[in-house]
Amino acid sequence: MSHFSSPEQRPGCCVPDEHRLHRRLFLKGLVATGATAVTSFHGLFSNPLFAETVRRSQKKVILLFLCGGPSQFETWDPKCGRPSSGPFPSIPTSIPGVHFSSLMPRCAKIAHELNIVRCMHTKQSEHLQAINLLTRGNPDRAGFMRPTLGAVVSSTLGHLDTKIPNYILLDPNPEGNEFKEYKASDLSGWLSAEHQPVRLGGSYTQLGSAVDALADDREQRQALRRYFARKYENERHSASAAAQNSAFEKVKGLMASADLFDIAKLPERDRERYGPGLFGLHTLMARNLAEQGAPFVMVANGMPWDNHVFQHEIHQMLVPELDRILDCLIADLKERGLLDSTLVVAMGEFGRTPWLNASRGRDHYSHAWSLMMTGCGLKRGVVVGGTDADGVDPDGKSFNEQNLFATIFRTLGIDPYAEYDLPGFPTFHRVEERAEAIEEILA
Amino acid sequence: MKLEKTKTIHLPTAVLGLTGTTDGARLYAACMDGKVYEVLPATETVTPFAEGHSSYASGCVLLPDGNTLISGGYDGCLCWHDVASKKLIRRVSAHDFWSWQLTVSGEGKRVASVSGQFLVGTEKYEPAKASGPTVKMYDAASGELLQSFDQLPPVLSVAFSPDGEHIAAANMMGNISVWSIASGKSVAEIKTPDFTSWGIIKSPHYLGGIYGLTFSPDGKTLLCCGMGPMTDPMAGNGKMIWQRWDWKAAPPSKQSQIPENEQGSGLMETIGFSPDGKSFLMGGRQAQGKWNVAVFSEEDGKLLASLDTKSRVTRHHFTSDGTQLFLSSATSQPARKDGKWPDYGQILCVRITT
Repeated sequence: MSHFSSPEQRPGCCVPDEHRLHRRLFLKGLVATGATAVTSFHGLFSNPLFAETVRRSQKKVILLFLCGGPSQFETWDPKCGRPSSGPFPSIPTSIPGVHFSSLMPRCAKIAHELNIVRCMHTKQSEHLQAINLLTRGNPDRAGFMRPTLGAVVSSTLGHLDTKIPNYILLDPNPEGNEFKEYKASDLSGWLSAEHQPVRLGGSYTQLGSAVDALADDREQRQALRRYFARKYENERHSASAAAQNSAFEKVKGLMASADLFDIAKLPERDRERYGPGLFGLHTLMARNLAEQGAPFVMVANGMPWDNHVFQHEIHQMLVPELDRILDCLIADLKERGLLDSTLVVAMGEFGRTPWLNASRGRDHYSHAWSLMMTGCGLKRGVVVGGTDADGVDPDGKSFNEQNLFATIFRTLGIDPYAEYDLPGFPTFHRVEERAEAIEEILA
Repeated sequence: MKLEKTKTIHLPTAVLGLTGTTDGARLYAACMDGKVYEVLPATETVTPFAEGHSSYASGCVLLPDGNTLISGGYDGCLCWHDVASKKLIRRVSAHDFWSWQLTVSGEGKRVASVSGQFLVGTEKYEPAKASGPTVKMYDAASGELLQSFDQLPPVLSVAFSPDGEHIAAANMMGNISVWSIASGKSVAEIKTPDFTSWGIIKSPHYLGGIYGLTFSPDGKTLLCCGMGPMTDPMAGNGKMIWQRWDWKAAPPSKQSQIPENEQGSGLMETIGFSPDGKSFLMGGRQAQGKWNVAVFSEEDGKLLASLDTKSRVTRHHFTSDGTQLFLSSATSQPARKDGKWPDYGQILCVRITT
């Protein structure tokens, strides 16, 4: 059963080519390889040329979740010389007239490859609620848990052949206060358990134990079995699919791809470029996973951006690390021909106050903040909106989480306004209120 | 002993650095707006100097003749100012990153500034080594660079020994280095874990460090201050802490530290001996507790007097007779109101009675 009621047939719904990617490429693959040679998807994907083509063209997301809420003043929206400015000067970027914080010299040089939304305006300034808002895309409704973006991507763009999980959360830090609570929550919401993320990362979580947990969990195994059956039925290959124990295949797949989750196995040269911090190393892992076909990888590292104390003393370290990581990631995706199909988003759950507290910190600020998104067919080099001279209020238009999710879904070729078909539930849509996408960056 | 706040003088932005004449008639404040101000407590007159820093002004020292003020800033520059005319005499680019702190030797011949950015050096977010010296010593009269010393960044605090023969600096990781100025060689290395956090709860990286450092009047010991380790660094609630180290011992040994029953929580940023050397002051910000400025006995470390200023105290200045104390300070920066930013910097005038 699909979670959506015929979205393609409703007025206003997009019917992008990407929705037909699997089938079209599958048919193309049949022609290319000779139908008689193909008895299953595994056979089809054993054609390396075809598998590579699919992998590169399928849309993917890498979400660098800057949990805790980075300061827009020390990143994308500096206010040099104003009372709200921190101690770091601003520097010009490759976009004429646009400045970033001096902590981001590498992103300044590739600003024409990025899009900055400087007028995010959301209504949750507490971590857990805001993390939920910015990863689920809509405000809470009591009694109903929406799926997170990763779960929606898993359910819509989940790959047919991959042995890599469709929703991966890389986070080396098992803690994180409110983020820990979030990570322990139901991240697939009303989508079924098969769209929960596989959470791995760092020296704190071992792949082996994660796989063991997966294999030993009866419900998970059943969910995985249902997942594979459904995908195969969707593609009218239920006969071959039914013959397999897909849960064990999934586990076997994870085991087979274990090296992808081992930071020690990452190439030394890449480790040097992205590292040495764990956030960089996990972003590198995300790059590899995306390259191998993972449709959604979220990278976080605890909640380090929540600088109520030592704001500038910590941002002086975190922002240059982010700057380097983004530069490497964008360059690598470009070089590999993956940026056109990979959406890269770097954001927190909100920004920081224009004023400093007495502990050398900036507090939560959801009223006017910034994020970065690029790739996957978006325009590049666009700075959307702005804030006033002090960064207190949006200067003109503003966007919220619904606008953001409408943009992300459209970019991915997913109907933003499709209605969930949830028996016994009220009516829900992927994005409620038909909130508009941020048209300025859509191609 | 009693500390009694008698006056609050307001400045536009947080005051990070403070010095003054020995009688306290003229004070000098280095502020977050990059400016350096002359402050006359008697009349509460606040006058900016002609030029300042392009980022926060982090510290200032007055040379003993009272004619020259040297300021340091987060622009990495040291500025020499003529006190009478308020004009800039000289600007020296000392560091590629912030001047975290500035100090002058007792006889006023040398000035030292410490720097260094916290950049990721390891998988566990230990700081990376600096590309250049993080401790620099200049001729106070000419502005000529005299000597440089290396310490793992960020280096937060610096002090000269009373005899002017040694210089000490301390960093985020709780390392204190002492160098002989004559030889340029390290003569003591202290490493204490008591000032630094690694925040597994939220923030998997290091933070904290030794924010205040001073030699005892006899030069035999070093006093340092900061905040004790926290599991959640963003709480800012590590124990207020000072430690006293015999740096000449081999190996250096901790002599004493703040009595446990006197500890509140919060970052302590300034520490220094009273003019008679019989007590020392520590100040900073209180997260929890009863005080944020306290005077302790030099002899046994017991708390003699304390004050809750309800603000963050950054530096202090005693008058030479020990009867007055001035504290540079900041409250939380208020939100913009009707298009204007209210003042949040302060100099607090405190009467000391025994």
